[in-house]
Amino acid sequence: MTTATTAPARRPTPSPRALARGGLSTLRRHPLFVVLALMVLVFQLATGSFLDPGNLRGIATDAATLAIVAVPLALLVISGYLDLSVGSTLALGGLVAGWLAGQQHQSPAVAVLGALAVGATVGAVNGILCCYLGLSAFIVTLGMLTAVRGVAQQLFPLPLSSFGSGFAWLGGSRIAGIDAPVVIAALVLVAGALFLALTPSGRHVFAIGVNREAAYLSGIHIRRTPFALFVVTGVAAALAGAIKASVLDSVVAGTSGAGFELTVLTAVLLGGVALTGGSGSILGVLLGVLFLGCLQNGLTLLSVPTFWQQMAQGTALVAGAALAYFGPRLTR
Amino acid sequence: MTDPNLRIRGLAKSFGGVRALDGVDLTVPAGQVHALLGHNGAGKSTLIKCLGGAFPPDAGTIEVGGRSHTRLSPRESIAAGVAIIFQTLSVVDSLTVAENIFLGQEWTRYATVHRRAQEELAAGLLERVAASCSPRDRVGELPMGQRQLVEIAKALSRSASVLVLDEPTAALSGAESDALAERVEDLRTQGLAIVYVTHLLAEVERLADAVTVLRDGRVAHHSRVAGHTRRELVEAIVGRPEPLPHGLPAGASATEQTAASASADAVPRAPRLTVHGFRGPGFGPVEIEVAEGEIVGLYGLIGSGRTRILETLFGRRRASGGTVRVGERAVTAARPSDALAAGIALVPADRRRQGLFPLLSAQDNALLPTIRPLARRGVRALFAERRVFDTLSRAVGLRPARPRLSAAAFSGGNQQKLVLGRWINEARRVDVLLLDEPTQGVDVGARQEIYEVVSSLASQRGTAVLFASSDPEEVVALAHRCLIVSQGRITGELSGAQLTEAALLSAVHEAYGTTTMYSEGAA
Repeated sequence: MTTATTAPARRPTPSPRALARGGLSTLRRHPLFVVLALMVLVFQLATGSFLDPGNLRGIATDAATLAIVAVPLALLVISGYLDLSVGSTLALGGLVAGWLAGQQHQSPAVAVLGALAVGATVGAVNGILCCYLGLSAFIVTLGMLTAVRGVAQQLFPLPLSSFGSGFAWLGGSRIAGIDAPVVIAALVLVAGALFLALTPSGRHVFAIGVNREAAYLSGIHIRRTPFALFVVTGVAAALAGAIKASVLDSVVAGTSGAGFELTVLTAVLLGGVALTGGSGSILGVLLGVLFLGCLQNGLTLLSVPTFWQQMAQGTALVAGAALAYFGPRLTR
Repeated sequence: MTDPNLRIRGLAKSFGGVRALDGVDLTVPAGQVHALLGHNGAGKSTLIKCLGGAFPPDAGTIEVGGRSHTRLSPRESIAAGVAIIFQTLSVVDSLTVAENIFLGQEWTRYATVHRRAQEELAAGLLERVAASCSPRDRVGELPMGQRQLVEIAKALSRSASVLVLDEPTAALSGAESDALAERVEDLRTQGLAIVYVTHLLAEVERLADAVTVLRDGRVAHHSRVAGHTRRELVEAIVGRPEPLPHGLPAGASATEQTAASASADAVPRAPRLTVHGFRGPGFGPVEIEVAEGEIVGLYGLIGSGRTRILETLFGRRRASGGTVRVGERAVTAARPSDALAAGIALVPADRRRQGLFPLLSAQDNALLPTIRPLARRGVRALFAERRVFDTLSRAVGLRPARPRLSAAAFSGGNQQKLVLGRWINEARRVDVLLLDEPTQGVDVGARQEIYEVVSSLASQRGTAVLFASSDPEEVVALAHRCLIVSQGRITGELSGAQLTEAALLSAVHEAYGTTTMYSEGAA
């Protein structure tokens, strides 16, 4: 165990030393933090413009949609499940929002609510099949990934665009000087962290992921809680889709959000969430999201070709897994 | 051949200060059946596992077929000619009999499995063990007795010279057990050295050429011929010549015939759990009554149905008939959460699979079902949680008392205290506590502490406790009264001075052999 946990458990006010040791143990649990800082330093030295406010703003906006979906997905993975369908849900959500705002001339609020309803429906289907019928989440959501994409293309064969200035507010306005998507992502991150730390269900999510049978025998709702997480993940994916539609002012059924599910999953796993369930944290998810965002942005600034970027992203995931596996053995 | 096939000398093994084996000698010549007896925790399974290479002994030698080893890996153990047939068989259900027998040592031709050659060889081996199944049958579709024979055939295919059978009849029907006994006799004449682990004295009398009784990791009794009496063996297992009478006066006896005389007891107590005509998968009908503050044991062998009775009461399995009352209220538990809402809680036997959350902290483990009741408006009451945990960890003597340490880092005994603590903390109302093998895998010191916790729970809070156990020592230490469970039914009851280890052992053995009841209840 780490040295920090050997300190007496109860202490009226933590001394600066204890706080420092606490910080150290956080660092040790999230080695990605150090990697991220080094990467930022290298990109800044190499490009000279990486830390410009304008560039940071770009990174944050790109990372925002990732974070919005990564948080509920992380909760789902902690509870022992998985959702691979989010890329297609994102596309369908964006299309529905854009169609309501652009073609139907509905208010932005109605457009967004419509998208969220569609996301909730997809999540509920996933949840019923996986939690209540006990089918494999991998297979169900892999199937849904294809099926939902098919639905999106059937309903919206033509690209949608020009959703009006009202709808552009979602992706383009600034709240207290910060872009709206970033504000939404921050809210989602905080909500996720508070949920895990402060609610009984937050503990239950871990318990179900660690030992489903024991959780069942402890009287915990082993179906209801993950079902709700599936719904929330679907809603989040649709919200991310609406934001993307608003930012780009166009959606294409065939390509929107393609591959997004794997990028989110990469961020979640980089953030230290175990694919086997039962462990992970929102801080880790934030680091994973920022890492991917910075990596992509920095390499683009350096004009590295896309396929090299993809290779870097993949290598980072495998290296992260290796670090998580071997790291504790090396530092012992 | 005059060389004994198996000779173990001075074998010792400790687990974190607990001496599981303490200088055990065991010699089994070829063509002999050697019975190995002893309580749960006496060291039998440790001995077998050292022999099979599951873990290295601390000291001593294992000599197989003239070659001496200080430690064996599983591979070396097989190569030396040792075959162990565990209670939980290691056959692969989805493969055929022949495929199972040659698993890992397939016969090949042109780099593919030579199916026909395997099946012919398998047929010969099956004949040697007089199995009725065909080499092409899928193992998953065979009855338990046949699966066991397949595993023995597999051992023979590896030309094993030492065969260890770990409670082989525990999962078998009466007829299958008889058939197995004949096979064991055959294999003895074929020159194998056989170690036969059992709880049943009748099997010892029928099969064994020699007997070793283990107690607390040492050899407590050894005799070469079957000249011993049952009484001698029971005394060797229990560990004292005259079993001590149970100290506590029993609570109100619950059988119908003694109900009238219950008024003679000092404190007549209200029944807290009343189970009537209760039936479920593989058991019943059973009648159980546990009074307020009473601790009742369900004693029986593995497979007798004691675990199923508890699991069905808790809603883990579906009952097929009968009534359950907690106090005056009738309870139908279709799932564990129903049982918990009615005030019935279960501490399951398989801590790792059904009880513990190894990655979570000690506090989370102990308080998991309590977090929601303590929360206010959906927000966890973190201070109250810590306070409840601190009180609880003092009450159960948790060591180390560190709320944030992950449960995996605790000893078996302290893990059990965490699982038990889930139901006995102050913020939880449990009227009926069901315990399945409450101290399985728990060291001796913690065992005593757990008994004390359960006893004080009953005496101070009036909780009705019903526990299942296969360890007579535990039943005597913990129970006020004990019901004997055999083949899904309650075949006897012991209480007061009658509740001794010797009486319990005789009771199951008689209940197993014939269907006569052991006792007519309190005199």
